[in-house]
Amino acid sequence: MNTLYLEIAVVVLGIILLMVESYSASANKARLAWIGAIGLFGVLLLSFIPQHAPAPGSPAAAFITSDLLSVFFVRLILAATIVFLLTVPSFFPALRISLPAEREGGGLGEFAILPIFVCAGLMWMVSAVDFIMIFVSLELATITLYILATYLRQNTASLESGTKFLILGALSTGFIVYGISWLFGTTGTTNLLALPSAIAALPEAAVTPLLFGIGMILVALSFKISAFPFQFWVPDVYQGAPTPVTSYLSVASKAAGFVVLIRLLGALWAIPAVSHQIHAVITLLAALTLIFGNFAAIPQTNMKRLLGYSSVAHAGYLLMAVASLSSKMAVPAIGFYFAGYLAMTMLSFVVLQVVSEATGGDEISRFNGLGRRSPLLAGAMLLAAASLAGIPFTAGFIGKLLVFEVALKQGHYGLVALGCVTVAAGFYYYFKVIRAMYWQQPAEETSIAVPGALRFLIAVLGAAIIAFGVYPAPILAALR
Amino acid sequence: MNLSTVAWITLLAPLGAAALILLVTRTNRAAASGLAILSALIALVGGWTLFLNHAEGIYQGFNWIDFGKDFSIPFALALDPLSRTMLVVVTTISPLVFIYSLGYMKEEEGFWRFFAGLAIFLFSMLGIVLANNLVMMFIFWELVGVSSYILIGHYYGKPSAADAAKQAFLVNRIGDFGFMLGILLFWVATGTFDFSGVNDSAELFKAHPTLLAVSCVLIFCGTVGKSAQFPLHVWLPNSMEGPTPVSSLLHAATMVAAGVYLLARIFPILSASPDACEIVAWTGAITALGAGILATQQDDIKGILAYSTISQLGYMVTGAGLAISAALPMFHLFTHAFFKCLLFLTAGSVILGMHHEQNIWEMGGLRKKMPVTFLTYLCGMLALSGCFFFSGHYSKDLIMACAWEHHRGIFWVVVIAAALTPFYMTRQALVVFFGKPRSEHAEHAHESPLVMIVPLILLAIPAVCAGYAPVEHYFFHSVGSLTEPEVPHFVELVFGAAFVIGILAAFVIYRGAPAKDPIRIPAFHNRFYIDDFYFWIVRVIQGGFAKLCSFIDRWFIDGILVRGSATVVWTIGFALRFLQVGNIQAYALFFAAGVVGLLYLLLTIH
Repeated sequence: MNTLYLEIAVVVLGIILLMVESYSASANKARLAWIGAIGLFGVLLLSFIPQHAPAPGSPAAAFITSDLLSVFFVRLILAATIVFLLTVPSFFPALRISLPAEREGGGLGEFAILPIFVCAGLMWMVSAVDFIMIFVSLELATITLYILATYLRQNTASLESGTKFLILGALSTGFIVYGISWLFGTTGTTNLLALPSAIAALPEAAVTPLLFGIGMILVALSFKISAFPFQFWVPDVYQGAPTPVTSYLSVASKAAGFVVLIRLLGALWAIPAVSHQIHAVITLLAALTLIFGNFAAIPQTNMKRLLGYSSVAHAGYLLMAVASLSSKMAVPAIGFYFAGYLAMTMLSFVVLQVVSEATGGDEISRFNGLGRRSPLLAGAMLLAAASLAGIPFTAGFIGKLLVFEVALKQGHYGLVALGCVTVAAGFYYYFKVIRAMYWQQPAEETSIAVPGALRFLIAVLGAAIIAFGVYPAPILAALR
Repeated sequence: MNLSTVAWITLLAPLGAAALILLVTRTNRAAASGLAILSALIALVGGWTLFLNHAEGIYQGFNWIDFGKDFSIPFALALDPLSRTMLVVVTTISPLVFIYSLGYMKEEEGFWRFFAGLAIFLFSMLGIVLANNLVMMFIFWELVGVSSYILIGHYYGKPSAADAAKQAFLVNRIGDFGFMLGILLFWVATGTFDFSGVNDSAELFKAHPTLLAVSCVLIFCGTVGKSAQFPLHVWLPNSMEGPTPVSSLLHAATMVAAGVYLLARIFPILSASPDACEIVAWTGAITALGAGILATQQDDIKGILAYSTISQLGYMVTGAGLAISAALPMFHLFTHAFFKCLLFLTAGSVILGMHHEQNIWEMGGLRKKMPVTFLTYLCGMLALSGCFFFSGHYSKDLIMACAWEHHRGIFWVVVIAAALTPFYMTRQALVVFFGKPRSEHAEHAHESPLVMIVPLILLAIPAVCAGYAPVEHYFFHSVGSLTEPEVPHFVELVFGAAFVIGILAAFVIYRGAPAKDPIRIPAFHNRFYIDDFYFWIVRVIQGGFAKLCSFIDRWFIDGILVRGSATVVWTIGFALRFLQVGNIQAYALFFAAGVVGLLYLLLTIH
């Protein structure tokens, strides 16, 4: 099957849902999310039919490819979007409060449909091999995410979050466009596949402008994957955005950013003229991101902010693997890390969503005594936190193990040593949540009701964390 | 259905039953026992199908861990003559014990929990039998440990039972630690976990006999723990706190024999190391003699049998250590499984008839009140004692004859142990079944229900016949050679004399079934004070060390290292937080600084 059909199917699904939305009664908006989730699940199944890239020579072939990397991450993004859509209906009560109520149920439907367009954008982004395509799909996804982040229009925190995201995002967009033009100016191509041979033909004097262009692009990608020092938007935006959006932002959008980074660096990694500088910069970025993400997370008291810093910290571990890109195992390690990261991050956000809905806030203290109030939620959060911290028999442990192993084999001893320190720090702040749940007195004793869809998600994501942690072979095999 | 499917079903049926009981039927008694027995019967049919069809080869499952060529652990089943014979033993005995438990556990609390535990055990035990590599075996090894823990602690409300369960688990951990190190050593040396690969690696070790000996002895540590060899034997007598069917199935017939099975599994490589074999053989011989001595002075009906089990396991381990054939220890394992299982089940029948009185000096004269139990007990007891025409005679004499041939020192040790066996068994038989009732309970003892009697009768058949030459040939001809070595005439006389002397001595001392034990040897009665010695070590040395650690931990590690570094890290985090000013102009400024820094680096590094 031509790989383009998957993205086209997603876009068509989105457009159909938009049309259905205009005619559906306000009480039925939740149905849109279910249909969307089922539709995307259909696309996910379609992705298991053998995919092939557009025929060589066809116009699309210059922009889109289909390889193990793209297929894996297309599935990952579809899965993340499905999780998002399943959490949407139970988020409607919170949405209702913060949306202007001129019309009953107004604005709810779009919240369930916009993610589908983000999904299409991110899917294109992970399959793209040309910077024009990358840029267009990046913008499709990012602009839609701006809207989603500001969705709680009457909530100043959400507005603030969206504005910060918009302004800093625009800044990074400027850098990527500028970088692409420098790249094009020096090499005469925007195509990643043609890039190595184009660079090889360059005179030595052209290396500096080339590196300048690459640097600009790296800035924008670092913003996307929240690497230090371009991560400052993360805690603020994560805290203000609606919880399902935060969850999605930290998984799908970051995954697509990493894929582009892998593709760009994969093209440049072995070119003697630039490789030396790039290796050093990526290693440094990894180290700084690890330090910042983990240490700044320690004093946090707000769960969403904490998960924001945690997302930065995980970007640091992933960058460790990127810095070891010479190893054949680096890309499988990143892929596996993301599969586990999806399960554990989205699981913790699902629990957070339920808890903040029930208690009215995102602070860690809202989790106090959750073990007594709702053993299911507390158990799920325990599992997610254990996996985020990297305890054996969870996906997070195997992910970190693979990343560390890859880094060790490439001789990044300093990074691994630093990684060990930051993992220890990670235990501290993830276990704060566990301590609150099991060792603190609850503010009230009433149990917390969990909607059916979320209960399903908790079961599936929790099972995935354990399954990946005990039997990692299938996921690894998918990228080898 | 091909044999591969049969093998997988055989392994997974008990797991399915356990899962159904624990997750679905829960406290429903009929469903729990029904499911467990059904799964045991499926395993029975599967096990025999595999045996009769001579299932052979590796049945691939899936790659559990796969990090490329260097390190991968497949999950696969190995069918060969050895595992087939063991499979028959496990699957034949299990359903009988399961059915027997219906009667024995009828009045007990946690009936359903008990059957779930049995099913988990059966699954784990079959896993040990069918495992094709050391890691898989280790996993199932630990799983039988867990199921043993659960089942010994069945009456967890009783402190002695809870302690016994804990002790069994912890003592086994000591042995398993060595086992794990052994697995790792073999892996380092040979690069594989597969039994076939490990067993074929004798060439590799040619230049490193010490490494081989150390690796084998470390693996043997697993046997020492699981098969209760000296000095880790202490847990087995205490494990008798569990319900009697558990003692019978786990702590006599199958689980404790897993250690011997392990030795048979690695037999080709073990026999390549004479040093390791010497250690194994002596450990077995010392255990056989020591436990035999202790058995003579126990008062608990199950306690006697427990020490006797240790002693017999010692014979099997000796048999493995003689390095003649894997079939030698396996043959004794085979016969012992049936008659010892039978003995425990008759003991259970007695205990039930006696309203849970276990002291043999409260019994007496039960012969007439429990005739079937008595007759079946007699079959088991004679088989264990090594009486002519009973199964134990053939397998035990074979080990002793081989010992004469290969190792005179060990021969004399095990012969003395062989005289002790009929002695303590006759003592038990005379005190329990003959003479006058010594208590109220014994007066009113009654025969057990049919559901318990039938398994006894069914088990009595193999207890008598399992040693005959055709049976031996049928089950062992492909496992390894079992030809009896030529021994001088007087050696055969020694065997006979050992048996006769043992019985006669017991008759002389316990004739007329006295009311109290006429001999009292405190050292034997108190288990050579080994348990007390261990307790002292734990209390004084380990306790003292723990106090020291606690002091260091509290004042040095917690106080300086942890609090100190935590404060430093927290301060860094706190300081970093000030970068997060929340002001977008500041963020843009940081962003710009980042761009400048990144470009500077990119353009200046050469």
